[in-house]
Amino acid sequence: MLKMTDVKKVFRTDLVETHALRDFNLHVKEGDFVAVTGPSGSGKTTFLNIAGLLETFDGGRFELDGQDVSDLNDKQRSQLRNQKIGFIFQSFNLIPDLNLFDNVDVPLRYRGFNAAERKKRIEHSLDMVGLAQRMKHLPSQLSGGQQQRVAIARALAGEPRFLLADEPTGNLDTQMANSVMDLLKEINANGTTIIMVTHDAALAKQAKRNIYVLDGKVSEVGKSATANHAHLAAVQ
Amino acid sequence: MSKTTAINWEVGPIFRALLRNKVGAVLIAIQIAVTMTIIVNSVFIIVERDQQMQRVSGLDEDNTFYLSSLGFGQNFNAKVSIQDDLNMLRNLPGVVDAMQINAIPISGGGWSMGLQTKPGAEYDGVGTAVYMVDQNVLNTLDVELIAGEKFTPTDIRWREPAQGDWPDKIIITKALATSLFPDDEWQTAVGKTVYINDIEPMTIGGIIDQLQAPWIGWDKVENVMLSPEQMDQDSTRYIIRTEPGRRDDLMPQIEELLANSNKNRIIKGMRSLQETRERSYRSHTALIKILSTIMVILTIVTALGIVGMATFSVNQRKKQIGTRRALGASQGAIVRYFMVENLIISTVGVVVGAMLTLGLNIILVNVFNLDKIDWYYIPIGMVVLWLVGLIAVFAPAKKAANIPPALATRTV
Amino acid sequence: MFSYYLKLAFKSIKRNPILSLLMVTAIALGIGASMTTITVNYLMSADPIPQKSHQLFYVQVDSWDPHNAFSDDSDDNNPPPTQLTWTDATNLMSAKKANKQTAMAKSGGIIEPKGLDSKPFEASIRLTFADFFSMFDVPFLYGSGWDQQSDDKRDLVVVLSKNINDKVFGGENSIGKDFVMAGKNFRVVGVMNNWQPVPKFYDIQNGAFDEPEEVYMPFYLKEELELPNWGNTNCWKSPEGEGFKAFLRSECINFQMWVELPDLKAKADYLAFLDNYVAEQKSLGRFPRPLNNRLSDVMTWLDEQKVVEQDARLMLWLSFMFLLVCLLNTIGLLLAKFTGKAAEIGLRRAVGATKAELFKQHIIEAGCIGLLGGIAGLGLAVLGLQGIKSLYGDYVNNLSSLDGTMVVVALLLAVVSSVLAGVYPTWRACNIAPASQLKSQ
Repeated sequence: MLKMTDVKKVFRTDLVETHALRDFNLHVKEGDFVAVTGPSGSGKTTFLNIAGLLETFDGGRFELDGQDVSDLNDKQRSQLRNQKIGFIFQSFNLIPDLNLFDNVDVPLRYRGFNAAERKKRIEHSLDMVGLAQRMKHLPSQLSGGQQQRVAIARALAGEPRFLLADEPTGNLDTQMANSVMDLLKEINANGTTIIMVTHDAALAKQAKRNIYVLDGKVSEVGKSATANHAHLAAVQ
Repeated sequence: MSKTTAINWEVGPIFRALLRNKVGAVLIAIQIAVTMTIIVNSVFIIVERDQQMQRVSGLDEDNTFYLSSLGFGQNFNAKVSIQDDLNMLRNLPGVVDAMQINAIPISGGGWSMGLQTKPGAEYDGVGTAVYMVDQNVLNTLDVELIAGEKFTPTDIRWREPAQGDWPDKIIITKALATSLFPDDEWQTAVGKTVYINDIEPMTIGGIIDQLQAPWIGWDKVENVMLSPEQMDQDSTRYIIRTEPGRRDDLMPQIEELLANSNKNRIIKGMRSLQETRERSYRSHTALIKILSTIMVILTIVTALGIVGMATFSVNQRKKQIGTRRALGASQGAIVRYFMVENLIISTVGVVVGAMLTLGLNIILVNVFNLDKIDWYYIPIGMVVLWLVGLIAVFAPAKKAANIPPALATRTV
Repeated sequence: MFSYYLKLAFKSIKRNPILSLLMVTAIALGIGASMTTITVNYLMSADPIPQKSHQLFYVQVDSWDPHNAFSDDSDDNNPPPTQLTWTDATNLMSAKKANKQTAMAKSGGIIEPKGLDSKPFEASIRLTFADFFSMFDVPFLYGSGWDQQSDDKRDLVVVLSKNINDKVFGGENSIGKDFVMAGKNFRVVGVMNNWQPVPKFYDIQNGAFDEPEEVYMPFYLKEELELPNWGNTNCWKSPEGEGFKAFLRSECINFQMWVELPDLKAKADYLAFLDNYVAEQKSLGRFPRPLNNRLSDVMTWLDEQKVVEQDARLMLWLSFMFLLVCLLNTIGLLLAKFTGKAAEIGLRRAVGATKAELFKQHIIEAGCIGLLGGIAGLGLAVLGLQGIKSLYGDYVNNLSSLDGTMVVVALLLAVVSSVLAGVYPTWRACNIAPASQLKSQ
């Protein structure tokens, strides 16, 4: 499903060369729910950006859904993001000037669906997150948890194969965080592969599989290891 | 999964988003509207003035000049001097012809009279410029006789100072024939009698194709009458037509010859027709240049305003643009987004602009007696401002398209 | 606090140099264009003799054609002729019913300077009366005008303009010297100092912005020396008889007349006198039209005769619209700029700045931008006026200089309009909630 082999990413400035990812190896199977943890600067955001085709990489091999993505141009990458990946961001990234309906509509427009199809999908996905009645509201009229639900609806409306979540509960209180997490688990249960970057150990535990990233590498894999490093992550 | 490749213009969401940020958009729209109003009306004025400047005087302007001779003192004999001068001028190599004349076409100063088709003070006259000329008029002024007969030497009389009556026979322009006899073919004017000073009859001996009056701003500038007479005046004016290319070297030469031939006079006011045209139309030329400059600067100001506002709005929406990119917008889609947004604003602007343009034109018609604007100026103006908007927004839109999608995951 | 805000304003202006430059340029262009046209219009419509423009009246009597009014002006359906006939000018002058009065006409003749090396040349003449010089406050370098006896005695006396005195007498005091013009020997009685009324109100029929005439001599010499008509001559009826005298006594108009009347009573009296005069002339078979006499003071006369060129007014309008566009531009850019400063404003609010103080701070910033734009705009206006001068030539020589009033007007216009442009963006900026910008978004 998602297969990274020896992926490298180097950031260069005039003075320094930073290896954000070095020989990063990861294989995520279809239907999995992977939580990625690691300290600040470990490379987990870089991993997320590369996995989400938001950034290119400098070496190694990356296959997404069986397709080698290293040679794709910007347009093809945009299309692939649009079709196969749904994003959930820490700060929701809803467009403040658009109401919920139009916000969920954004990726569908780029997909090229016709108006009826889009309407059906928007209503369905907003219904799924329990906000169908508030379609005409603006994001600023909602609570944080509700905004993140809209973002999830936006991510799901295109029926992506992957959901990439970047600290999806980072800006939420515990109660809201739990309800968002429950929603993600439900989505995973329905067959969508989810990769979630987080520093919250308790949250990570709820995923099927945990990965720990350190110095641009996957350092330890497996449920057993997560507990040790959970406090590390929490300290940052 | 249904998949179409049709481009999605996002007009609806863009419009709804614009409504949430009205002020900036409205400012740009008004700016476009006012700019269009000024530009379209200016272009209209420019075209109108330019058309006036394109009218031909009828003269061989490139090769014609004139000067004044002012005699003074007891010993000065105007009649003798005029005869001598004309003999000398007409025999000079390079001179095509020369003549005494009372006023110069398009120069701004001259005589006008009223002609009427029935005698009596109760009838209205048709205004016409009067040129007092001799038998050499056709050749000197380069005008063509298109009906009737030209003046012969015996037709020419001497007009004494302050003499009030008029010769029996005149030549008029086709335009004057048409305004005198609006119901008849212009050719039939030959041989007819018209009255000057209410009751004094004159016969139309011939018709010339075209000659302009001295006053370029006069609505009857094509109405001209040629009166066959030489003026017995100490102060007189000669008009001289040269062979092509000879004007500039003959001007100083002739000035010198005339000044030296008689010490009891001074020669002044020598000027080419070309210079006269430039002077007479100077305010037209100036207005055209000023309006053109205003148009260019205004367009630049408006374009820079659009660039400024668009750049600002791109900077404000960086995160949003990154998010759109992350959600699958291609660079083209981002460029398109800003273009469409601008197009919506411009469309409002040019529609309001069309109304303001008409409004200003109505005011100009009432206050400044300008003509009504031709309808097609408006759609052309709309398209031009649309294009200005699109060109102006292109650079900021490109800048927006270069915002990396990874910005979406950055927590700033 | 004001100086603190000034400092903040300049810091802020420097922080976004391109945006600031754009705003200053926009205002400068708008101010430059408006000031150029305002100056031209201001000079065209200026009061040329403010100290007594309400006491000087232009005299019109309707001596025109029974069948047609003098002109078919759309604003004034029955205008009397703009000039007088010789007969009326001389009759009204001999009646001497006003405090001061002068009829006049434009003419010209040839001056023959003394000395073999100086060539004869032509100069313009103003034929007028002794009162001319005191009525119009003409400044003298040497001597003075002639006295009233010289008017009636038709003395050969002249007043010279400074230019002609420089040309003929090398600028020295020429009072009492001989001066040959139009073949006659004149005595110089006065030399004028530079005198340039703008508009040249006393004879706008012959060019409202022309130079004043070069030589001034008693009016009746027109008849004596048979001096030619310069300038506009209009006739509705041909002269009866031949020759100069017949033409002079015809119904042709070529003469202007001004009277000085100290108050409304004097004006009413003079108007009554004119009405009487016309009634008397009617009994002699002249003045076939209905009674239609007018006395217009200087500004009324200039206004009626539309001394301000249409093109100048047109450009004034367009330049104001231009300024409007530039201001809209500035409003937009200020809005952009102040919104961009939301974080800073939020912080200031959080540390206790009141809305009023923030308003002051940002209005001062807008004013500073306006002031900079105004100063640059003045420079552009100077260039613009140079441009006008080069485009229109001699005609606008007296219409294209900025004076102190105009400089003040320009700066005021710039500051006031940019402060106005700043009100809305500032208001918006001040309404940013104190805390909203503190947490990252």
